[in-house]
This record gives sequence, C-alpha cells and structure tokens, in this order.
Amino acid sequence: MGFLAPWFLGGLAALGVPVFVHLLRRHTATPRPVGSLMFFERGTQSSTRHRRLRYRLLFVLRSALLLLVVLAFANPYLRRAAADKNGRLLLVVLDNSFSMRAGTRFADAKGQALALLRAKLPGQRAQILALGGQVRILTPPMTDRAQLQAALEGVEPGDGHASFGELGRVIRAMAETVEGPMELDLFSDMQRTAVPANFADMLLPGNVALQLHPIAAGAAPPNWTVESVDAPSVLSDPKDPRRSRVEAVVAGFGTPAATKTVALVVDGKVTATRKVDVPAGGRATVEFRPLAVGYGFHRCELRLEGGDSFAADDRSVFAVRRSDPERVLFVHNAGEMRSSLYFRSALEAATPGSFALQSVGAEEASDLDPAKFAFVVLSDAVSLPSIFEHALERYVAKGGNVLIALGTAAAHRPRIPLWDGGVKDAHDYVRAGGAATVGQVDFSYPALEQAQPGHDNGGWGEVKVFYATVPDPGPARVAARLADGTPLVLDRQLGEGHVVLLASGLENLTNDLPLHPVFVAFVDGAARYLAGSERLGGARLVDSFVPLRSVQPSGAIASIEVIDPDGRRPLSLREARTAQSLRLERAGFYQIRFANGRDTVIGVNPDRRESDLEPMAKDLGQLWSGGVGSPAAETAGAVPNTVKYRPLSLWWYVMLLALLVALLETSLSSGYLGTEREEV
Amino acid sequence: MDRFLDPRVLAGISSLDLLAKTVVDSFVAGLHRSTDFGFSQEFTEYRAYTPGDDLRHVDWNLYARTERCYLKRYRGETNTQLTILLDASNSMQYTSGPPTKMDYARYIAASLFYLAIRNQRDAAGLIVFDDQVREYIRPSTRPGQLSRLFSGLERAEARAQTDFSKPLTHFENFLHRRGMVLVISDFYEQPQTIVDHVAPLRYRGNEVILFHVLDPEEIRPALAGSAILVDLETERRIEVIPEYAKTTYRAKVDRHIEELRSRARAAGIDYQLLVTSQPLDAALREYLSLRKAGN
Repeated sequence: MGFLAPWFLGGLAALGVPVFVHLLRRHTATPRPVGSLMFFERGTQSSTRHRRLRYRLLFVLRSALLLLVVLAFANPYLRRAAADKNGRLLLVVLDNSFSMRAGTRFADAKGQALALLRAKLPGQRAQILALGGQVRILTPPMTDRAQLQAALEGVEPGDGHASFGELGRVIRAMAETVEGPMELDLFSDMQRTAVPANFADMLLPGNVALQLHPIAAGAAPPNWTVESVDAPSVLSDPKDPRRSRVEAVVAGFGTPAATKTVALVVDGKVTATRKVDVPAGGRATVEFRPLAVGYGFHRCELRLEGGDSFAADDRSVFAVRRSDPERVLFVHNAGEMRSSLYFRSALEAATPGSFALQSVGAEEASDLDPAKFAFVVLSDAVSLPSIFEHALERYVAKGGNVLIALGTAAAHRPRIPLWDGGVKDAHDYVRAGGAATVGQVDFSYPALEQAQPGHDNGGWGEVKVFYATVPDPGPARVAARLADGTPLVLDRQLGEGHVVLLASGLENLTNDLPLHPVFVAFVDGAARYLAGSERLGGARLVDSFVPLRSVQPSGAIASIEVIDPDGRRPLSLREARTAQSLRLERAGFYQIRFANGRDTVIGVNPDRRESDLEPMAKDLGQLWSGGVGSPAAETAGAVPNTVKYRPLSLWWYVMLLALLVALLETSLSSGYLGTEREEV
Repeated sequence: MDRFLDPRVLAGISSLDLLAKTVVDSFVAGLHRSTDFGFSQEFTEYRAYTPGDDLRHVDWNLYARTERCYLKRYRGETNTQLTILLDASNSMQYTSGPPTKMDYARYIAASLFYLAIRNQRDAAGLIVFDDQVREYIRPSTRPGQLSRLFSGLERAEARAQTDFSKPLTHFENFLHRRGMVLVISDFYEQPQTIVDHVAPLRYRGNEVILFHVLDPEEIRPALAGSAILVDLETERRIEVIPEYAKTTYRAKVDRHIEELRSRARAAGIDYQLLVTSQPLDAALREYLSLRKAGN
C-alpha cells in the first residue's frame, strides 16, 4: 500500500483540533457561581463514564473523519497483482496417475496444491490440469479461487500412466494460444518411468517457469508387482497342456530377495497358489497349469499375497472365455488341395483347438451360410456361385471377415469377389528369371504384427514370390509389399467387415511362404484378426482403446453396451449408438456387448511402469525446471521471477467511508443539540 | 406601558424612586378599572330609610324625585401596615443576566412601598436580613418615610448566609399592629423550616406573603459540559455533570417549589414564585389582591 500524493498527509496535523476540543479543553472548566448547591450533587461515576463514552465516540468519529479526508487527498492505493496479459498464469498440475495411490501421495499432493491456490494472489489467473493417462485441462484460465479449488478437489486418483512428455506436449500447445508468462506448479511423485525416452519431449516453452513439488521424498520403497500375465483369452480344451496355462512374471522394484506367494483367483475364488523366489530387484516366473474353467467368460486374477508399500499393484486381472473351437470355411479352387493342407496345418500349429477348418470346393459352397463361420478363406476361388457370393457380401457387410488368396486363376478373371476394382496385372517372376522378395512389411498391422521383428524382415525376408497378381488397391490399406512395390497384403473395409487380400497363393506354387515359419505366424495373426478374437482379448492396459465399430454406422443402428469396473455405463445413449472405440480408463473388468450381439469381458490393468516408484534423478529435475537447453528459452528469454503489480486507487472508497462517518458524526452531535433545545 | 414593568428595562433605572413610580404608574394605568380601591369614601348602595337612621345619610335628591327616603351607603376606607422582610444573603447576588435576584427584590420592594404609601396611604416598613437583622425601618406614614425606605433598600447589600430564625424572632418583637408581611427571598432552606419560622407571623393576624425570587437558570440550569459550581454563600465547590442538571436537579427544584407552595398554603400563607426574567406586575397584583381581601 502506498500514497499517490503523500504530501497531503501533512493535513494529519489537523487531528490536533479534536484532540484539543475533546481531550484538553474539557479539563479547563472555569468555576461557575450558583445561588446554592442545595439541590446539586456530585456526578456519579457511572453517568460520568457514560458521558465520557459518548464524547469519546464523538471524538473518534471526528478524528476518523479528519483522517479519512486527509487520506482521500493523499490518494492511497493497493499493490495488486496484475490480472492483465502481463500477469503470470498459474498452471497447477496434479498428478493422478496410478502410482499416486501409493501411501498418502495423492492426498499430500492435493493438499499442497490447495495450499498453493489459497496463497494465490486474488487477481492472478490460474488453471487446473490433471496429469494421468492423459493430460486433462479441468478449468479455463480464471481468477475465481472457489472454482479453482472445486476443480482441484474434484480430481480423483486414476489408473493411468503419467508421462512428462505428454505434459510437455500439452503445455507447448497451450503456450501457442496463451499470451504472457506462465508458472507451472507440478505436484507429482516424479516417477522415473514418467520421463520419456527423449528429453526434448518434456521440455517446456521459454515463457513457462516450472516449479516441481516432489511428493515422495527419499528412496523409493520396495515394491513387488505382477508385471505380466500370459494366459489364453479363449480356451477350447482345458486339458490342452500348451494352451491351458497361466504364466506370470513377478517383478520387484528396489526389493530384497524374497519368497512371494501368488494366488490364482477365478471368479472370486482362489483356485491355486504358488510360491516363487524373487531375486533382489529382479523377476521371477510362476506358472499355473492347467487352467480349469467351465464354459463362458471367467474373471481371473493373479494376486500377490503378503502386501507391500503399494498394495494396489499386487493384482493383475485377465478374462478367459472357454468355448468350442470356432469353424473356419476354406473355399479353394477346384482341383487345388495344397493350399487347404498348408493352411490347416499352420492353423492347427498356431491355434491348436481354437479353430476347426472346413474345406470345400468353390462349386460346393452354394448351400453354405458364411454367418456360421468365424471367418472365410477364399483360396484362388475367384469363380464362386453367385448365391454364395451374395451371401458373402452380406456376411462381410455385417461384420464378417474374409481372407482372399489370389493364385494363378485370378489373372484369368476380370474381377475378384468382394473386391472392387478387379485385377490390373499379374507378375510372373519365374519368367523374368527369378523370384520376388518381400520388401516392406507393416508390422503394426494385426495380421502381421510382430513385437520385435528380426533383421530378416521378421522372417518375411526369406520368402520368395514367384507369381503375384496385381489388384487395384483402391482405398485399401497395403500392409506388405514386394521388393518391386507390388502390393502383397491388402486390407479393405466393406461395411463393418474386412477383406484381407493376399496377392499370391497359399500353396507352394506361386510362393514358398507355406514352407517358412513365418507362415504359421501369419496364419495365426490373420486367424485372430479375422475371427475378431484380437479385439476381444482377455487383458488390456489402462488407457488403451477397444474398437467398437469398424465404420460409422448407417441405416439401422444397434447400440453397444459397455459396463465399466464400477458397474456403471460410461457411454451415453448417443455414444452407445455412434462410438467407434472405447478408452479403457479404469483398472478392472469391462463387459462389452457389441452391435453384432457378441459379448466379451476384458481385464484392464494399470501400466506396470507405474509400479516402479523410483523418482527421477535430481539433476534431471533441475535440468527440466531450469529450462536449460530449451530453444524457446533461448529465444524468448528467461521469465522474470518478480510479480508485476498495478496500483489500485482507494480514493473512492475512502471518500465513501468519510461520507458515512460524517453522517454518523452529524447524527450523534445533532442528538446532543436536540436534547439541549428541548430542555431549554 | 407594559415595557416599563420589564426587569431588563428597569435595570437601566438607577433611582429607586423613579423606578418605583414608573412601575406603579405603569401598573395602575394598565388596570382598566379601580372601583374597588378609591382615594376617599365611595358610594356602595342604597338602603331604605328606617327610623333611627342618621338623616345625614339620606339622599335628598332622590327624595325630591321619588318622595322616598333612601340612605346612601359608602365603603369605608381603612389603612393597613406593610412590612417587607428582604433577604440580603449572598445567594441573592446570583444572576444569569441582569437584574440580579437582589435587584429584582429591590424593584419589588420599592414598587410596593410606592404603591402602599403614595396610592394606599398605608404605613410601610422594611427589615433587611441575612443571618442577622441588618436594617430595620419601622412602618410609618410620616412624610419622608418613602425616602427612608428607598435609602434602606439602597443600603441593602447581599452578604453572609440566610437564617430565618433570628430576623423573624426579632420582627415579632416589633410587630404590635396587624398588617401585611411580605418576605422576599430565594428560600434556599427546607420548606418546613421556612414555614415554621414564618407561620407565627400569621398568628398575630398578619397577612403573610412569600415572594420566592429565583433566576431562570436556577430553575432550568443549562450546562454545556461538566462544570465546577461554587456556592455563593458557603464557597463550597462541586463538579456537576450536565445530565444531572438536566434531570435530577430540575426535579428537585420543582419538588422544592411545590412543597414550599403547598406547605405555605396549608399554613395560611400566600406564596408567589417570581422569576427575575418576568415583569413585576405579578408581585403588585398579588399585593393588591391581598390588600383587597384584607379590607
């Protein structure tokens, strides 16, 4: 607070006037003669006090009036934080990732964030963000402290995996739209695993000053967790020793060597327990075999007994569905049986007991209903009975999937069933003096998916293609190409279904793919993808997505029903009719009923990187908050730490108060005069 | 002429003689009729003649007109004796503005002396007292009596304290003839004590009047703030707050006046409150009404 015209404070000397009138003059009373004191009495103490009190009130009012008038001329002002664009925007980021559930981390972080908000200057703008599986912006920039506190109070601990890289990306995007400096206060446990691989991803713009508020101090507490579970999502034969098993990895973070007990819980009942010796800070594998479950969906859980500092990650859930083997229709060209043999062998090798292959010739397919099969394979069967072809079209439109392998017969036909555009050309590499190799493979495509493909192009590098048809790709996705650029694997969506096109055959005449191990992997991936079991998998990570629909529905719309781990329906009625995917935000079991009537149960687990409670290195935190190396910081300059203020003149309020005091003084003093007039 | 009865106007007149003449002339001129009081015998009524009546009183003129004998009756003229007891204690010096209570008392006394001697042919006397009898002028109608009374009033200076017992006892010794006794004082004494001392005068057939002279400030004092009050008689000092003067004091004074009035009436004594800001006619009217009753 200060005064814009302080020299007017000299007027405070006028305060001596009421002091003289009330406190000094009243003591110089001159004796006054009266005829007789017969009727006079000395004033009692109580009445004197009352009089003095009333006079003192008058004295105070008069002094206050003088003081206020002088202050008004001196023009006092308050220093308020600038609320304009020069003011610093306060970004309060509260980490609500899964690791914040450990101990009292989340409560501590929220308490500190609330304390920061309470200490915020009244005019300063602030914004609340939550850092979980994704960065959620909870409020726009505002000065209303109550709304900010309410938004902060509403943040609950989540199950997602925090990433400082994601935070940096969001802040950089905000900095492009928000002018002026910003102060980012991050309340987090500063997990090491939240640091992205590339430090540049988490760098903040130059106008953002980062303040780190680490919640967990000191060394990370030891923590065991069920890091991963390998279990079949679909089980046909519980006695199958290769399939009916659950394998889990128990990991320790900063832990001593210990023997841990792992329990397999199926539908809420403990069916088996195993003891496993976990080395210090290491991993150990535990296996449950067989997995004896009845038909239908089963909610399974691997639970780590004994407890530790972070109990929430001691369980890992997954769902298992036991069903009879699904039927697969394999339609081949008349007289060609090799493809059926190779495909059956590969399918049984990859997914034993899951599928039952029914092989028929193209001319025999007239009476078959494709809807009874998990998926359909057309092996060089470009000439189909029209009734079957129409049935296939309806089948695909409703969500069925078809694999088409083009052999030598395709080149003789102008069109390919279910594939608009027909055949453009055919390459006979043998005549050219050799064979083509697979040059480019999209390993993110589900049918070709490989986590870590080797140097030989994931096994595809050994494959030789002697004959390939060149279809018109149209809008199809090309998942693999030959070395000369010829599309080898294409995927086109028709209705709600997919058609996967292999530009060569499944026999060993047009290529040697069936002779390579990668063929088994390809058949396995293609079978899971085409059968839909890929999207109906038994376990997922939090913040992953489940495809609900293939395309935007048209015509008759069927709703999708989703029940989350809390038993609530996360989709609104509108979303249930239009949503194409579902983000799995919570850990636990999701139950989904698709538009085609198929059910699935998905177990969702938090990202196990959240179980590593080790905080990031201090020097890394200093480097991040210091903004060293930030190109933006170098160009925009450092953000000044001093808060800018602007004077808020109080002249009007002081004059208003003076007017009020003047009215009070007038009322009080006129009360005295009125009394005297009445008595005289 | 009423303005000549205003005490503030009278305060500018130094001569008591002139002052008394002014007051009385103004007062008499203000009376529209003075049939009750004449300077000689006055006709009252006719009465039928009865044998034995003095023939000197027969109205012969009426007999000549009506041939009936009627006697004319006249109102007899009597002389009374006026004695004024003037309190000259220090408290009579108090004033909130001219005149002082002492001067006001002088004006009243001078006017009454003038009225009694010049107009009524009454004998008039004066006793000036405080705690002692300071001045005594016997009631008389001799020539020069009025001058002696005025001179006695001039010499009367306020001093000492009031004490009714000594002067009244002394006065009783000189009182041999019935008449009118006027006591002019501010009566700062207990009403019962005052009446106890004055009442014996009444027993001798005197008409007694108490002229209670007070300043307006003594009835309704106005204190702007806390004040130190000094008693003019005892020199005692006390600090008084305005609230007391506005409430309790006024109630006490009113109660004192009312009690004095009621006790005096009960003892057959007339009482008149005279405020120094009011004209003097109230005192003169009171005197004349008693004079009439006395006849």
